[in-house]
Amino acid sequence: MAPLLDVQNLVKHFPISGSRKTVQAINGISFTIEKGQTVSLVGESGSGKTTVGRCILGLIDPTGGGIYFNGRKMGRDHNVRHRDVRGRIQLVFQEPAESLSPRVRVADLLAEPLIYQGVTRPDRERRVLEIAARVGLPTGLLEKYPAELSAGLQQRIGIGRAVITRPEIVVLDEPTSALDPTARAEIVDLLIGLQRQMETAYLFISHDLSTVRFISDRVVVLYLGSIVEEGPAATVFATPRHPYSTGLLASVMLPHPSLKPEKRLTLVGEIPSPIDLPPGCPLAGRCPFAEDKCRAAFPPPVALGHGHLVHCINHEKVAAMGAAVDFFGRFQVLADRILGVAPTLEKDTVQ
Amino acid sequence: MADFQPATETAPLLRVEHLRVSYQSFESAAVPALRDIDLTIAPGEMVGLVGESGAGKTTLARSIMGLVPRPGRIDSGRIEFRGQVMAELPDEERRAILGRHLAMVIPNPRSELNPVLTVGQQISNVVRAHSKLGAAEARQTALRMLEAVRIPDPGRRLNAYPHELSGGMAQRVVIAVALACEPSFVISDDATSGLDVTVQAQVLELLQDMVRSRGASALFITRDIAITAHFCDRIAIIYAGEIVEIADTAAFFDRPAHPYSIMLLAAFSHSGDLRRRWTRTEIAVNGSAAGCAFAPRCVRRQPRCEAEHPALRTTHSGHAVRCHFPVEG
Repeated sequence: MAPLLDVQNLVKHFPISGSRKTVQAINGISFTIEKGQTVSLVGESGSGKTTVGRCILGLIDPTGGGIYFNGRKMGRDHNVRHRDVRGRIQLVFQEPAESLSPRVRVADLLAEPLIYQGVTRPDRERRVLEIAARVGLPTGLLEKYPAELSAGLQQRIGIGRAVITRPEIVVLDEPTSALDPTARAEIVDLLIGLQRQMETAYLFISHDLSTVRFISDRVVVLYLGSIVEEGPAATVFATPRHPYSTGLLASVMLPHPSLKPEKRLTLVGEIPSPIDLPPGCPLAGRCPFAEDKCRAAFPPPVALGHGHLVHCINHEKVAAMGAAVDFFGRFQVLADRILGVAPTLEKDTVQ
Repeated sequence: MADFQPATETAPLLRVEHLRVSYQSFESAAVPALRDIDLTIAPGEMVGLVGESGAGKTTLARSIMGLVPRPGRIDSGRIEFRGQVMAELPDEERRAILGRHLAMVIPNPRSELNPVLTVGQQISNVVRAHSKLGAAEARQTALRMLEAVRIPDPGRRLNAYPHELSGGMAQRVVIAVALACEPSFVISDDATSGLDVTVQAQVLELLQDMVRSRGASALFITRDIAITAHFCDRIAIIYAGEIVEIADTAAFFDRPAHPYSIMLLAAFSHSGDLRRRWTRTEIAVNGSAAGCAFAPRCVRRQPRCEAEHPALRTTHSGHAVRCHFPVEG
């Protein structure tokens, strides 16, 4: 059976006006998402994460390659147009406050996607109540305006609007980065719960690696529009094999002084401009292992088992550096010890 | 960092006492933003101030700078910087301190930098406002600062406008502006929240190195408690305008005592069970004004918490905690 979503050799270049150069946002990436699965795209700003999401949603046309939904190619000139799958592929935005009309009440915001599906008014009202309960919006809030609610509640509206059409896949573009950590944890719990009930697949686009580690089945690491490493989330986070993924993970900070970011692994400099990329591995300019071969051609994928793929000729050297820092795993052990105390008071301590 | 010497003098650099700030409103009673804040910071010390949006973090930063925006008002309390009460100084003297001895690194560098001045001009302006240096010398200082914050090709970047810089570079420029006059106290207000993790780590290290190497102090304001674990000597947790816990970094993270501190840390746990254990799902609609501000969200809430406001007191593990029933392991 064909995967739910199959992205094949996707390319997106943006022309620059007044120049023959192009912004090479995506340079031939392929991955699949199965029903009910969460795949995360991670990478720094400028790595092409959002562009991939926008191509899948049909908001922009790819320059090359194809996107297949349930085995059928999507696009203007193909047998499935994005209009036909409206409601089956949905989007949640980063800034809840900016993506919701300030002059529309919560109930109408939630019902809006159903109008375009031709759902009758009584059915819409019934489904708004049902979805409000699912995303944890008390019915008392349905008559309010978005500005009257906290950012966490606003993002629940954004999620409710996306899932009310019972989509097969939801593209979540940085849905938690505008939130406080406590609200973030609640939204992640909500997303996981909804996925269990509705078997929705998620494409989770984020640079919040702690959340990615937590929510994903598979992780795809992007750098300058190319996939450098992909695999099961637990494997990639515990044993990254690409110098870029290793540097990215080593920069993560978790709340305990013993989990210091590893300086010897962190990347220097910033992501270069995606205009006129040289051939070869895009990381070559920042990579401590780079050699002439890296600058000649982009390395083919090396399979490390269990669907773990890395595009690096020196992945063994990376492994030998003891790159397996797995801060996330170590933090969970610490958290269990430090926070695992009983939260409620014993009777005799109550005065 | 090797030349960093812990200060021998005992006088704090910054002392905030019983600070109360509120925002006036025509429609309702004044909204308290800071309620009885006490905080002292010693020379050479970096203190992390952590809280959610709306807790009063930025209001505290602005109060220290003497820049509380209207309709905000300092109701009571005093802020002493290098032994001088800031509010009692004439405007001119206060202006001489701001930017020279007391500097602030702001978030959203691209919106806060002047878009029509080059990076070099913006750094030189600060330098020239506080010294007798001429244009050429101020430009040299600007160049040195850009080198210090590790901006590649600093000579060329001096003539760049803010829109030509990436977010990470613009943030470094803001740090360069703040540190150009070698201030003895730096306030960083959520300075790295919009940056990628890789750039964030570099910018924070840089800020720490620059503060440490000059023996300066810093108040490090953030909503990301994880950052403070790696860059601060002491941690203060602020909730609804009050400091609810303050302790040395190692002690704090090994044994957080306030239920709110634990809730903040538990948000990073992947164990839903652990998180739910510290997060109250049925939030009481209104806490009583007399009681603890955190009581409505607290899993340890007792009748006493709603009746009596807890004072900040020291537990036997050395934390100052504002809680009737702190967690003592």
